[in-house]
Amino acid sequence: MMLLEHDAKELLAAGGIPIPAGFLAVTSDVVPPAALTGPWIVKAQVPVGGRGKVGGIRRAEKAADLRQALEQVLGMTIKGQIVRSCRVEQTVQGMECYISLSLDPALGRLNALLSTEGGVDIEAHAAKGGVLSADAAFRPDAALEATGKLATDIAGAPRETLARATEQLIRKFFEFEATLLEVNPLFICSDGSWVAGDMKFAVDDNALVRQPRLCDLIRRRADAYPEMELKLTHGFDFIVIDREGEIGLVTTGAGLSLQVLDELAARGHRAFNFCDIRTGQLRGDPTRLIHVLRWIATGPSVRSVLINFFAGITHLGEIAQLLVAALKAVPELRVPVTARLIGNGYDEAIAVFAAAGNPLRVEPDLDHAIDLALAPLLGARL
Amino acid sequence: MTTAIITGPITQFVDPDVKAIVQGMTGRSGRLHSQLMRAYGTRIVGGISPAGGVDAVDGVPLFKTCAEAVAVTGASASVAMVPPLAVQAAIEEAVAAGIKLIVTIAEGMPVADSVRALEAVRAAGARWVGPSTPGLAIPGRLKLGFLPDVSLVPGPLGIMAKSGTLSYEVCHRLVGRNLGQSLWVGVGGDLVKGTRFADLLPFLLADPDTKAIVVIGEIGGSEEEELAAAMRTLNCSKPVYALIAGRTAREGVTMGHAGAMILGNVGTIASKTQALRGAGAHVFTKIRDLVDAVADGFGQTMGA
Repeated sequence: MMLLEHDAKELLAAGGIPIPAGFLAVTSDVVPPAALTGPWIVKAQVPVGGRGKVGGIRRAEKAADLRQALEQVLGMTIKGQIVRSCRVEQTVQGMECYISLSLDPALGRLNALLSTEGGVDIEAHAAKGGVLSADAAFRPDAALEATGKLATDIAGAPRETLARATEQLIRKFFEFEATLLEVNPLFICSDGSWVAGDMKFAVDDNALVRQPRLCDLIRRRADAYPEMELKLTHGFDFIVIDREGEIGLVTTGAGLSLQVLDELAARGHRAFNFCDIRTGQLRGDPTRLIHVLRWIATGPSVRSVLINFFAGITHLGEIAQLLVAALKAVPELRVPVTARLIGNGYDEAIAVFAAAGNPLRVEPDLDHAIDLALAPLLGARL
Repeated sequence: MTTAIITGPITQFVDPDVKAIVQGMTGRSGRLHSQLMRAYGTRIVGGISPAGGVDAVDGVPLFKTCAEAVAVTGASASVAMVPPLAVQAAIEEAVAAGIKLIVTIAEGMPVADSVRALEAVRAAGARWVGPSTPGLAIPGRLKLGFLPDVSLVPGPLGIMAKSGTLSYEVCHRLVGRNLGQSLWVGVGGDLVKGTRFADLLPFLLADPDTKAIVVIGEIGGSEEEELAAAMRTLNCSKPVYALIAGRTAREGVTMGHAGAMILGNVGTIASKTQALRGAGAHVFTKIRDLVDAVADGFGQTMGA
């Protein structure tokens, strides 16, 4: 998962990484702490690249400008994501450098990039060969050795500072089991100190079980990471894709669930959510199904629910019983439900639904099931 | 009647008669899937249960260590059905005992553990499929893992897939068009893994029974781009059909699979589609379109 810049900075600052003084603003009605005298920089907090290029980062010279900048950025949509908060920071003067540490998944090694010319044009600069690059075994000692050698190629005064910054960042990268830690710009100030101007920090979701400080952050900032908080609490994936989405999805398998979203999109419809409920883990308990149906019922525009279970192992008769129990437990869900079921025990599942008064429609073919689920949106009779 | 001895390149990836052990056989899913794999014809010759105290499960002998199991049974493959935080140790133990092919099922293996495991596998000259995979199969001959029988039929397609369920769906529909599989490998949806798409390409290209390749990809990482590069390097002469899931994914958010996350320009549908098309692959966003195109490629009439 990608941490928001604000959270990444505060987390690493607590461990000694220097960052510009700043705070999180969720409204434009803010009074900066007295120590922050401006000018400020106002930065949209969404986990995507290219914020600056679409106006998600603005400068404010005076306190009055700050309100205006916040009004402009808060509520913006960047790559489909609404800006709900901004980090407001003191601007920093210094030489703009660049450090990137990332896991190369194909090699299983750490890739390190260093440059004394950072900033927004880093990609063009890299294309011209202006970035030093090294790779190392994926462990702190090897990474420190490789980047230490790399830094000797840096000319002049920034060398020592950049080497020190790299060492500190490498320790944080491994401490938090990151897959990416990029600081750009990394300011080197005239007194030889450094400050992380902007930061991209992605951590390994699978390592959260042994990263208590990251889990604590996700729980504390559940509003910013609703899907991760939900996964920590419930053990499966449910991601709201579009608050105004018209179709709720109860699906299993990450890849097939993603594909169902795409199939809907190809027909011109946005789903409310992504879901990987993992039917193999239900084990006779409808709790996960009940949660998912309740969350879908909160979607203001949801007019239809599509269930898609390709059950490789789990018996469909058992799944049908769980579905009947779950639907009964969520009476607030008042939209038609279509279930695409395939696997062992199809006939038994049909019998279970019939005995329960057919609370949903069943269809073995995915394309047909999607058409059925879309019918209520198209004004057709069910 | 004698059974034809398969000597083609698929067997260089995995021998259909390989003797396999199951690490974690006494667990709930270990026991169930051991039964199902045996029923499919896989030679499960032993199970590992470090706790000891039991001699056999369903007639399959249990051993305390992989070394003991390998010494007694001659197994050279293993399916590890252990919890995610125990996978690294299971792999290290298996390859140290001389296991040459290990399939790890568990979802949720930390990436740092995967890196360590990959180092151990490479140092031992072994092969690893996983983590987070439903396994692999030579339909009709061998199943290591739990690919569903309903989708497994011998045929001309080499399958490589990041997603289990999406590959079940696609292969099930292709089977509906009388197109089964020569080899099916789930590589898993994680960032760091034992076997990547590009690793499979040489085997599928050299295999005379594989007439076309179906790739089930998704957003995140660079595996599809690596495959495209390998297609160019190897002068890929067989048709490649790819489905890339996730065009509706949100950037910066993990979409179910640990590896399925777009970061800036990395891992996007556009990048993967462009790379694969540039290398000559047919790329689709809808399942039906892919299935139709594959069936068309085999000269079949449209409409299932």
